[in-house]
Amino acid sequence: MKQPLALVVAAALVLGQSSPALAYLKFGVPIQGKQVTLKWAQTPVHYLISTAVVPGVTSTDFQTTIATAFATWEAVPTASITYQLAGVTTASPGQDDGSSVLGFQSRPDLDRVLAQTSFLVDASTGALIESDIFFNAAFPWSVAAAGETGKYDLQSIALHEIGHFSGLGHSELGETELQPGGGRRVLSAEAVMFPIAFSAGSIAARTLKADDIAGISDLYPDGGFATTTGSLSGSVTKDGTPLFGAHVVAFNAATGLMVGGFTLNTQGQFSIGGLSPGAHIVRVEPLDDADVDSFFDTTMNTVDVNFRVTYFDRVVVVPKGGDSGQVAVTVVAK
Amino acid sequence: MALTMTAAMLQASVVFAQQVEPPKSRFEVGIGVLWIGQEPLGAKTANETTGGGGALALFNTSSELSSAAGIAARVGVRLSRSLVAEADASYLKPQLRIAISGDTEGAAALTAAETVQQFTVGGNVLWYLPHVSRSRRVAPFALAGGGYLRQLHDQAILVETGRFYQFGAGATYLLVSGRHFHTKGAGVRADARAVVRAKGVALDGGTRTSPAFGVSAFVRF
Repeated sequence: MKQPLALVVAAALVLGQSSPALAYLKFGVPIQGKQVTLKWAQTPVHYLISTAVVPGVTSTDFQTTIATAFATWEAVPTASITYQLAGVTTASPGQDDGSSVLGFQSRPDLDRVLAQTSFLVDASTGALIESDIFFNAAFPWSVAAAGETGKYDLQSIALHEIGHFSGLGHSELGETELQPGGGRRVLSAEAVMFPIAFSAGSIAARTLKADDIAGISDLYPDGGFATTTGSLSGSVTKDGTPLFGAHVVAFNAATGLMVGGFTLNTQGQFSIGGLSPGAHIVRVEPLDDADVDSFFDTTMNTVDVNFRVTYFDRVVVVPKGGDSGQVAVTVVAK
Repeated sequence: MALTMTAAMLQASVVFAQQVEPPKSRFEVGIGVLWIGQEPLGAKTANETTGGGGALALFNTSSELSSAAGIAARVGVRLSRSLVAEADASYLKPQLRIAISGDTEGAAALTAAETVQQFTVGGNVLWYLPHVSRSRRVAPFALAGGGYLRQLHDQAILVETGRFYQFGAGATYLLVSGRHFHTKGAGVRADARAVVRAKGVALDGGTRTSPAFGVSAFVRF
């Protein structure tokens, strides 16, 4: 497989809209006409490990690697989510049986999908009941500490999928280039939740970035999160018209860290939470580094990608435990 | 006749010298204008991680706190013939400017800015050097001090605190001497300083030095 591979999230396509709450992209489900953020109601979240194996990855390797990936999300100090291994199973991921299962499945038909996360949701509350992750056994996998040439790093991919498992959508903090034969090659990413994986052999996505940390903390805030971080909100317009689906990046000029968000409604409004207090630069860019439907249900909204990358002309200050106040960014067509 | 005049002038000089030499008065109150030069705050790059673990620069930033003029006030007390301790405060409104360049997707370079309100409260020790001056009205001094720095971002939604240290030299020029109502003299003062600001809005938390100049009027009691 020479093409770059998309980490498709079934729920993102099936459940569709993102939540118009803070930052990044959180999955949302419409319940009684209201958008509800998808998340686990109780922790620790229990999961089962499938006994299925692939060449180069033993059952023990798989269990250890998955535990490491879960532990990475658990280690975020400003997030409260925890996970617990409930045992091993011969069941496959994807069965709506109330148990969350992670395991390998061979899906050669999904020739660009390395792994996929699916959900079972309580239709009355939006709470997650089950979340399954399958890793496509049709691809070569590695658990080597330093990675292996030509093989995909299980820990990196598991880290991404567990982000979905926890309720996070995709981040657009990355750069890609189109390949002559179709698909995209990732040049860089500053979020584990970027929808396209690095090339085989890379282990660069084993570490959570500021965007991932803000996202999981926003979903499952721990004690001091709300009081120690702040948010940046505003709107994006083009020719006087609100813009849906613009990617907005908040860059902390002191730390150099970036957290992204999107304009998520017909008023072109955005809100990026989990930011370190201080001076920020705001950069707005079109959603053109991955397929738009990796982020949004395009049957419900039209994403405008015909505009130039634009910086807001003022330094935006994010207060501790508060919001920056409305930032109005105007972009122009390419 | 000539001898008499010379004697009279000498006598006057002696009297005047006694009035203007390092403050014989106990207290001094001053208010004036303070200008502090630009403070570079360093550069930061918006990096994304590459597949090999390296970095790709999305854009670059370079920051500074602009020069600004504001008001300053002080109260001094004489400790000895040549030493004065003073408390001072200042208020300025410099701009925090962040220049953005080198966007990987070709966005135009731009400088984003915001106004910062800067308050300082501190103290200095002045050492008067009367023997340096040729004029009886002029009293040169060296100063050193420091204090508390408080900087409020735009709309005062975030407060940054830090410290400042300063050292420099200047001179007072006595315009009026002798007792007038409750005062013992009045004049003007000018000084040049090096101001070291630590923390505050400094984006990297570091310390940096800026030039500063102050001009003020004072009254002695």
